[in-house]
Amino acid sequence: MYAVRFHGRGGQGAKTASRILGTAAFLSGYVAQDSPIYGAERRGAPVAAFTRFGREPIRERGVIAYPDLVVVADASLLEDPAARVSDGITDQTILFVNSPLHAEQIRTQSKLPGRIMTLGVTEIALQHFGQREAISALLGAVAARLAGLQQEPLRQAIARELGDLGVAPPIIERNQTVALMCYESVQVMARESAAEPATRATIFHTPVYESPCRGTARISASGNSVLRETGGWRTFRPVLVADKCNGCWLCFVYCPDGVIAMNQDDRPVVDYAHCKGCQICVHECPTHALVAEREQEGGVAWTAK
Amino acid sequence: MWQRETFKKIKQIPREEHVLPGTALCAGCGGLEALRLAAKVLGDHVVYVNAAGCFTMLAAYPYTSFKGSWLYTTMGSAPAGAQGVRDALDVLIAKGRLPKSEDVKVVVLGGDGSTYDMALSSTSGALHRKLDFYYICYDNEAYGNTGMQLSPATPYAARTATSPCSVQHPAATTQEKKDIFEIWRAHRPPYIATVAPRYPLDLEEKFVRAAAFTGPKMFLALSACPTGWVYDPGETPEVAKLAVETGLWPLKEAINGVVTHTYIPKRKPVEAYLKLQGRFRHLFEPTVQTDAIRHIQERVDAYWQPVTKEQA
Repeated sequence: MYAVRFHGRGGQGAKTASRILGTAAFLSGYVAQDSPIYGAERRGAPVAAFTRFGREPIRERGVIAYPDLVVVADASLLEDPAARVSDGITDQTILFVNSPLHAEQIRTQSKLPGRIMTLGVTEIALQHFGQREAISALLGAVAARLAGLQQEPLRQAIARELGDLGVAPPIIERNQTVALMCYESVQVMARESAAEPATRATIFHTPVYESPCRGTARISASGNSVLRETGGWRTFRPVLVADKCNGCWLCFVYCPDGVIAMNQDDRPVVDYAHCKGCQICVHECPTHALVAEREQEGGVAWTAK
Repeated sequence: MWQRETFKKIKQIPREEHVLPGTALCAGCGGLEALRLAAKVLGDHVVYVNAAGCFTMLAAYPYTSFKGSWLYTTMGSAPAGAQGVRDALDVLIAKGRLPKSEDVKVVVLGGDGSTYDMALSSTSGALHRKLDFYYICYDNEAYGNTGMQLSPATPYAARTATSPCSVQHPAATTQEKKDIFEIWRAHRPPYIATVAPRYPLDLEEKFVRAAAFTGPKMFLALSACPTGWVYDPGETPEVAKLAVETGLWPLKEAINGVVTHTYIPKRKPVEAYLKLQGRFRHLFEPTVQTDAIRHIQERVDAYWQPVTKEQA
């Protein structure tokens, strides 16, 4: 059995990528299984999805604790403990990271074992689709290549899965073309040991029963959500062109997260540690004084502390 | 003609933040935009009673975005929770254990799934008992936190996870949006208002006006939802603006049952609003569903006809 775990942020297409891989494996004649983790389905929040395929019936269910391949759709997840990207990664695991950085740089930054591989999938998507979130087919293609699947079942799987989502045929075709480019850009990585690794059971920690009279979870701190930084959600950051700003306050008023403050001179100051990059301020600025800039330094300008 | 008295200029909106960042709510959340503006009037001396929904993420253990208190309830029981909190505060004040000056406002936060559906009976009870509280419904027209399933707030022809477009139902949702404003109004609470965060002064003014009343103060906040309505998060204010300008989301208030429209839009054709959102894309592609669009337009026109007649 080959086990693939996808990590992404809600809206990036990790779930669809896992479905594309599962369908491609099924069309290649394998027994296949794919499922996303159930949770709050929210844009930007860490999500995971799992694909298993093999020649024998698959008895294992649930989360993949010991993956053969891990696909990371967003490099900022590597440093987010809540995403649990590093779970079960050994030096045998193939770790694919969507980043324009070199694999060695990711290795130094993340200190993860595993055989790391990178490709700037978001850059490719922006170049070909002009959209930041359309990367499910491309991730599925990379995963299919790394897992050793052929092109034709992959093409069909993309058509099927995107078709189910109601994507228009010409856009599906473009996805197929660009996905195959991504497929060609990475190399098959064989598993190092030819022998099937012994199946290791997922370890679950059984919760201890607590009587309700002991009370419920309480937060006694006040307004401590600021300790949790959400800057890593951004693909684009709002940047102020100071001489165009007329100090109208609209960016401050419309920011849902309240991360824009107006300074003494009525100029906006963006809290980049928390700005989620929704671009409302960029859209609403009447004088175009706020512009969207692509996050740099390998796709993530922000790093978790 | 309705006039704003407290909030006349955008720079009168308080600078201080009462809902702090770091939440796991979606980037570009229209509901959070509304709550953040409302909290600028409500302040920090508030107990939020939160029905399960997207706003659960505002205080997901161990982090909270509020400087004040927050109580979590099931989807059906937030107004009952508010009653308990209000009663406890009243008892403490009566016994002299809490000075009157330290009293706090009780504010229910509920999504449309909770408000229009599961908590309808407990809301009716709280309205009937004239509970002194605020109720803020962040209406994104579907069960958003679980992946956009149909709710009674979903408008006709919107595509949701459980009302997809199909051969039998090419226009997707066949039901009409429930008129919760009128259901509330039938109970005659002292204050009801609809708000849209794209109209921040209108929103702030209504929260100031509501503060003068004792009893239920009900708010219905348009919460444009990039995730569920399928548009770019940066367009949240634009979507909210078009909802109001097409007449689909009337801005109004009802004081002791008497309705006043606080803004009379020139009413752009509804296509302008529908076209912006992926949840209505099937009305335009691959073929234009003229009947469905006309049906939506006719409903809007029928709503506004008596209002504009009254104005004239």
